[in-house]
Amino acid sequence: MSVTHVELPASSHIHPPPDTFIKKYVFSLDHKVIAIQYFITAGLFLVFAGLLAELMRVQLMGPNNHVLSVAVFNQAYSLHGTAMVWLVGIPIVTGAFGNLIMPVQIGARDVAFPWLNMLSFWMLPVAGILVFASLLFGAPQAGWTEYPPVSLQLPLGESLSLWCAGVFVIGVSSTITGLNFLVTIVKMRAPGMTYTRMPLFVWATGVTAFLSMIATANLSAALAGLFIQHNFGVPFYDVTRGGAPVLWQHVFWFYSHPAVYILILPAFGIVSEVIPTFVRRPIFGYKAIAYSSAAIGLLSFMVWAHHMFTSGLQHWEQLFFMLLTMVIAVPTGIKIFSWVTTLWRGKIRLDSPLLFVLGFLSTFTLGGITGVMLASVPADAQEHASYFVVAHIHYVLFGGTIFGIFAGLYYWWPKMTGRMLDERLGKWHFWLMYIFFNLTFLPMHWAGLMGMPRRVATYDPMFAGTNLFVSISSFVLAASILIFIYNAYRSARYGEPAGPNPWGARTLEWMIPSPMPYYNFRDVPIVLSGPYDYGKPLPYANISQDLAMTPVR
Amino acid sequence: MAAANAHAVSDAEYAEVSGHRLLGFLFFLISDCVIFGNFIFSYLYLRNAAPLWPPVGIERPYLYLAAVNSIVLFGSGATMHYAMEGMRHDRRSQFIGYTLATIVLGSMFLGGQAYEYTHLLPHTTWAGTTFGASFYTLTGLHGFHVFIGVIFLIVVLLQTLRGTYTQERHFGLTAATLYWHFVDVIWVALFFLFYIY
Amino acid sequence: MKLEQREPLLDSGFWRAVAVMTVISIVLMVGVVVFPVEKYLPEAANISKPIDDLFKFCAFFGAPIFVFINGFLLYFSIRYRRRPDEPIDAVGSEIHEHHGLEVTWTIIPSLLMIVLAVLSYLVIPMYYPTNQAFASAVTLEAIGHKFYYEFRYPGLKQSVMNELHLPIGVPVTVDLTSAEDEQDVHNGAVIHSFWVPEFRVKQDMIPGIVIPIHFTPSEIGMYRIVCSEFCGLGHSHMWGKVIVQTRAEFDAWYADQQRAAASPIAAPLSLAGGNPSAGQTIFNAKCTVCHNAAPFAQRKVGPGLAQLFDDPDHPDLVTGKKATPDNVADILEHGAHGDMGVMPNMQANGLTPKDVADLVAYLRTLR
Repeated sequence: MSVTHVELPASSHIHPPPDTFIKKYVFSLDHKVIAIQYFITAGLFLVFAGLLAELMRVQLMGPNNHVLSVAVFNQAYSLHGTAMVWLVGIPIVTGAFGNLIMPVQIGARDVAFPWLNMLSFWMLPVAGILVFASLLFGAPQAGWTEYPPVSLQLPLGESLSLWCAGVFVIGVSSTITGLNFLVTIVKMRAPGMTYTRMPLFVWATGVTAFLSMIATANLSAALAGLFIQHNFGVPFYDVTRGGAPVLWQHVFWFYSHPAVYILILPAFGIVSEVIPTFVRRPIFGYKAIAYSSAAIGLLSFMVWAHHMFTSGLQHWEQLFFMLLTMVIAVPTGIKIFSWVTTLWRGKIRLDSPLLFVLGFLSTFTLGGITGVMLASVPADAQEHASYFVVAHIHYVLFGGTIFGIFAGLYYWWPKMTGRMLDERLGKWHFWLMYIFFNLTFLPMHWAGLMGMPRRVATYDPMFAGTNLFVSISSFVLAASILIFIYNAYRSARYGEPAGPNPWGARTLEWMIPSPMPYYNFRDVPIVLSGPYDYGKPLPYANISQDLAMTPVR
Repeated sequence: MAAANAHAVSDAEYAEVSGHRLLGFLFFLISDCVIFGNFIFSYLYLRNAAPLWPPVGIERPYLYLAAVNSIVLFGSGATMHYAMEGMRHDRRSQFIGYTLATIVLGSMFLGGQAYEYTHLLPHTTWAGTTFGASFYTLTGLHGFHVFIGVIFLIVVLLQTLRGTYTQERHFGLTAATLYWHFVDVIWVALFFLFYIY
Repeated sequence: MKLEQREPLLDSGFWRAVAVMTVISIVLMVGVVVFPVEKYLPEAANISKPIDDLFKFCAFFGAPIFVFINGFLLYFSIRYRRRPDEPIDAVGSEIHEHHGLEVTWTIIPSLLMIVLAVLSYLVIPMYYPTNQAFASAVTLEAIGHKFYYEFRYPGLKQSVMNELHLPIGVPVTVDLTSAEDEQDVHNGAVIHSFWVPEFRVKQDMIPGIVIPIHFTPSEIGMYRIVCSEFCGLGHSHMWGKVIVQTRAEFDAWYADQQRAAASPIAAPLSLAGGNPSAGQTIFNAKCTVCHNAAPFAQRKVGPGLAQLFDDPDHPDLVTGKKATPDNVADILEHGAHGDMGVMPNMQANGLTPKDVADLVAYLRTLR
């Protein structure tokens, strides 16, 4: 391999690091610090939103339970959904992982607009405060989708304005992050890093950034519409004055369907990074995985109305959205088949990141299959708005995104903090979470098909056994997260130093010390080929070659 | 490695950073376009769902004022173009003159719109009908963009007078021009949707 | 694989694993085919079976996909685990693409999806009428209210609340919509949903739009109507009944309804013998959705009812009459509407005359 002369970026000189506490840890411009800020803030929201879910499960332990009033129950599920999607899921997969890893993986010293990056982060706590403050003034009760007219009705919608404002703020933050990341990926890749040499996590983050930029702008407009309807009576959704409630469903899902891909694509990216590292072989079908991300991204804009099959669409609309929804299963299938094939003839090390990835593949597959069932318009008639859908969304967003997030946390924790997590605790965490995740959400499919609707505070006594079982499982599921929290604490106190490359991975973030130094690379690296060719020499020039290639563990 | 002194920005570095900013600004305009797209979709959806359009008792907006106003706005697009040409060829007075003209034309457009809101649509209110909702939301949002554009131009004009921009380094002006043309293009769509279609 | 190697790429262990997974898949696929859905959830309309068959189609092909993915995950991660005696930096196979395989797993799912889409599209017209042919069928109107269903039959003057009587074997078209008396977005109609799980029919009831659905009840019985679209504080309690009867039973019921319409004055409710504790049970089960057993100001949808009979600030009921037991019973029986919203009548709330007497007795114990 010959190293030709490469033009280095003009701005590649190193600025001096910040020296005051505020500049270093609070209003930091450093993408790695911002990533950790995202992790901590969204982690707090995760605990809060998770507790709301457990409150719901307490209420649902028996029919005609009166632990919560109906209003509080409604607020609990509405804020659970709102917080999990906007304050936990999207900030962690884009803001936290995207910031922590993407710039380093492309060999950049920071994102394109560090100041905007900081602004994006600080919108997250503002949004969180706005959304949770709505609890004090009567939080909205119509679920995270807030369909009008019911969301506009008193006494349900008293603080709908706060909810709109909170989600609007996080939407703007997400748009800005998307724009920032996309410019970073297009413009700031290290010399030699062509698009087909980018790590797959960068591909996933790039497509996600594109979705955040386009779809989330639409969310802002939709929320503005709901806000002015609510506060000034502008009759977009008011049927008594010619408005159309179904219009909201269109504009909302035009954002919110891409949003589920915003949530899942970075998790796909994490899976694509973890698998080759722990299987010790090149990923199978690099291009197929990369291009299928792009295909999913584009298709995701054309399937939104499959959330609305029961709201009286035209026949051609039903056919169109059904067909495209089924088509989107194909690129998703390609990814899963490629990942499974990568395991074939590897030298697999079953450490906790890989365990979470295997759990991801196992549960996400079921979520994908039920997704196809939901795509069929007639079958959807039985499944829509029932516990079947609740089960499906948790299989893809908990079994998918949350398992992916934990895989990423176990994988990049040493890079982020410089210390290892405890492997034995990690395995306990995984097995408890995997088993009780399935025990919690699998029975919901059955309850839904048998006729249990979602968003109810009580139910037909025929579902009592199922719901009690689900509630008890969900308590253990929530408790399994405590193991991770303890593990993180233990790692901070007693964790062994990680060294630069504890897993023997080959992407650029492992070529620099852990935790990553300010400005990442002393010299800008030069990339000579793709990142997954295990068994071959490292494909980089201009990096310190003394970093160990072999896994130390 | 590259320049050691972080304060003196080299030409190459300026070009690189403004390249990033240009792309970022284009992305911003795309997402802004989506916001207009959302409300245009809503307008067409409501219009399609309505039995009668415009709704009973609602007058169609007055075409002639809007036509004059459109000419004013497109004229401001032309003056903006010549202003930029002036900057590119380092003709300062051409730049300043044409930018001033753009600001005046933009303000005239806003004045025309204000007159239309207050005098020409006595029965159409924002909260009254779906027509009013779409009309005032979209044209209001556009008017707000024009207003921001005028402020933007005033700021870059003041900065030019203070000597911030040169023939080679004027990213702020490029952004202002792009923004102004973007606002023009959006108006074409709105003019067609509300006054002709 | 054209690569010449001593050891075959796909060894006997691989094929044994494939054999095991194939057997499991076949068992599951046969299980899907023979699974008696109707034993768990009756297939009570003509469209139930085709919809279940679509579900089974997905499950039939989903099962092997699920088994093979999970099976390979398990098999590979055990079979290709790095053994303790292997070097720590041992690497696996270099094979990183195989076009035949990748094309296969693109084409086969695509074909399956197209078949599923076509099959689904054939079922859609069975319940969404696409042409005027269905106009000849019996047409009912179903209107969603907060929080009950109203059904209107042709030739019947009054509506039937929460109970949909249908004769077996007769095709019906139900026109679904949602309405309230208030013409105001803050109190007006909301989106409900009409779901009969035993029919496999679900359709949103949307204010301002009438959506017809079409089906033929095919099994005698009593089934649930469930609201599956969140519609307000009473959503959890919005349940109705479908009663599928023989033609003779239906005709008898219909004749009863016509008689009732002709002589609207039923015997006045007797409040004698009301049982406060039975009333409390009913209150907690049904009324607490909208009312608190607390002073007037603690409203939910309607006012708090604790001082119903001696509230100096509110001597009159919403109907404008004095707060006497008989006038309260009148509201319970016929419903009312006022500035806070609509109180459904006794039929919509599923109350018997005895329940009304119990409730009044209970309300009188509150102070």
